[in-house]
Amino acid sequence: MTALVLSAADELAGLHDEPAWLRAKRRQAFAVYERLPLPQRTEEEWRRTSLKGLDLDAFQAFEAAGASAPATPIADTAGVLRQSGSEPGKVEIDPELSRAGVLFVPLSQAAREYPELVQKHLFQEVRPDRDKLAALHAALFSGGTFLYVPDGVSIAKPFVSQFWSSTGGALVLPHTLIIAGRGSSFNHVDEFLSPDLERPSLTSGSAEIFAGEASNVGYVALQRWGNHAWQFADERARLEKDSTVRMVHAGLGARFSKNRVEASLNGPGARAELKALYFGTGQQFFDFHTLQQHVVGHSTSDLLFKGALREQAQSVYAGLIRIEVGASGSDAYQANRNLLLSNQAKANSIPMLEIMNNDVRCTHGATVGPVDPEHLFYLESRGIPPMVAQRMVVHGFFGQVLERIPVQQARELVEQELEDRIGF
Amino acid sequence: MADFEIKDLRVGVEGREILKGVSLQVNRGEVHAVMGPNGSGKSTLSNALMGHPSYQVLGGEVLLNGQSLLELQPDQRARLGLYLAFQYPIVVPGVTMANFLRTALNAQRGYDGKDKAKAIGPKEFRELLAEPMNTLRIDKSFLSRYVNEGFSGGEKKRAEILQMAVLRPTMALLDETDSGLDIDSIKYVSESINSMRGGELGILIITHYTRILKFIQPDYVHVLVNGQVVRSGGSEVADQLENTGYSEWVDEPAAAAAVAEEV
Repeated sequence: MTALVLSAADELAGLHDEPAWLRAKRRQAFAVYERLPLPQRTEEEWRRTSLKGLDLDAFQAFEAAGASAPATPIADTAGVLRQSGSEPGKVEIDPELSRAGVLFVPLSQAAREYPELVQKHLFQEVRPDRDKLAALHAALFSGGTFLYVPDGVSIAKPFVSQFWSSTGGALVLPHTLIIAGRGSSFNHVDEFLSPDLERPSLTSGSAEIFAGEASNVGYVALQRWGNHAWQFADERARLEKDSTVRMVHAGLGARFSKNRVEASLNGPGARAELKALYFGTGQQFFDFHTLQQHVVGHSTSDLLFKGALREQAQSVYAGLIRIEVGASGSDAYQANRNLLLSNQAKANSIPMLEIMNNDVRCTHGATVGPVDPEHLFYLESRGIPPMVAQRMVVHGFFGQVLERIPVQQARELVEQELEDRIGF
Repeated sequence: MADFEIKDLRVGVEGREILKGVSLQVNRGEVHAVMGPNGSGKSTLSNALMGHPSYQVLGGEVLLNGQSLLELQPDQRARLGLYLAFQYPIVVPGVTMANFLRTALNAQRGYDGKDKAKAIGPKEFRELLAEPMNTLRIDKSFLSRYVNEGFSGGEKKRAEILQMAVLRPTMALLDETDSGLDIDSIKYVSESINSMRGGELGILIITHYTRILKFIQPDYVHVLVNGQVVRSGGSEVADQLENTGYSEWVDEPAAAAAVAEEV
């Protein structure tokens, strides 16, 4: 049993047989963690987000593998990685793809075997010094996935990583690093799950995506941690010229879930699609901060976050479109829609623009409200009972995001999860 | 007693009385038209009959085949055979037409997700749709589109009539069904309605203009002004309105021209 101390970073590095450079990186990040205070509500980003009840001293630094993970419901994959607790993950990959130069391995193994590739990218987009929790993630991350697809390689079947937690009371901080070679094309699904547990856990599920020139990357995060989890995660993509990244985040689990979803567009013709859906029930709290950063012009970003909240569930959305000087000819769209399914549910939505340029097209919008009674009346006027009508409208509300989930089985899984939550 | 009876119906909206005692009787097989100028209460009539929550019934009675409707929810009224073709069909994002129609048919058949024998099968569903879709010139791709989303005015109204053809009500309220229709659409829509006409179906056309009545000849015409029926008669009432407009009851300049809008 190890608390959150420096030696925990060494223990984790040892458990994963990490090279010295990564061990040093962990130690550096731990120093940042120790130096920084917890985020305060006086900071704009945390103004509507309370960390009351979060006790970092209550967590063990890592979780032993407990009960075995359930099989991922996504069959017919290019490769699967399974990781339980903080134990190193196990990988199966289509040998054809290995021969083609595709690397799909636990992150620590990649750090050992391909240090030049990993060192250059790891924690470059998801920065440890952003706040105390990002530093903690970098210092004590519990393994994760490394996926590298070489130039020109196109893969139809998805890669799936499944992270499973079964005991609670500890940190479970998987990290995903994806590097897409020039003109490559593939989809990756991260599935984070656990049952509801007695003791609180601190979880993440951070991902860095480097989309090379003209690559096409689909990334899906299925956040299904149990209701004992405090989740803090950063998903960030860096896009080069003519690349396309499609990110879909499904926020379904955790008691508290704080996610930053960001894309930086660094080449003309780059296109980032950032989609998310979340469904809060009971006391769940979701916080999404998004950034569409147009560093270079003639790039496109399209963001749509849709959430439904039941009972006392709450959400915060704050999104920023930033068009840098010189990024002319950029198109940026941002919308956040919230459906309140009870009188006590609350949603906050704050869209923001920072435009250093004139020649751009930007739209943003936010809505918060109950199910439209006209929608219900129309369906009911055809003989559809009110409960069924309500289900249809709520399900339909998510349709625009669901249809953008690039992997069909992941889409079906999310649909099923939504059905269970809609079940009035 | 008539198959569909509206007795002294009084309805308010936001505390203001709009319908001030309307009585009408429609028997199966008959086509009635309710005509009236703007603000006469036509939309209030159709919405209140269907049970829209924003309309408060202040008094009166509505009976369909002897069963009182006013205490019932909209979906219950629909399952008893009442149908409303909306003046402004509602867009329901993310719900496909196919899902919508199938769910409505299943609800009519009492399928609640359990007894699969009650659910409509894919073949029967296709067969039910084939003929009205053909008459209404509705393309198959339409079924995978979201309910009324991105539909043109004509497509929306044709979709309303398609739903009617599939659900086979015994009493249909057609609220301004011809408004926003291009000439092709009005032909397809009236052809479809005329093919359903007669038999078990009663129809109440609610309209400002006489245009649709040239395509669907009413057996009876009622004039609604200021929340009351001021005249009832045969189709000659519509002919007369085409000449005089509603000027007899309301101060409406050029009312005659407005009533006889060009076809």
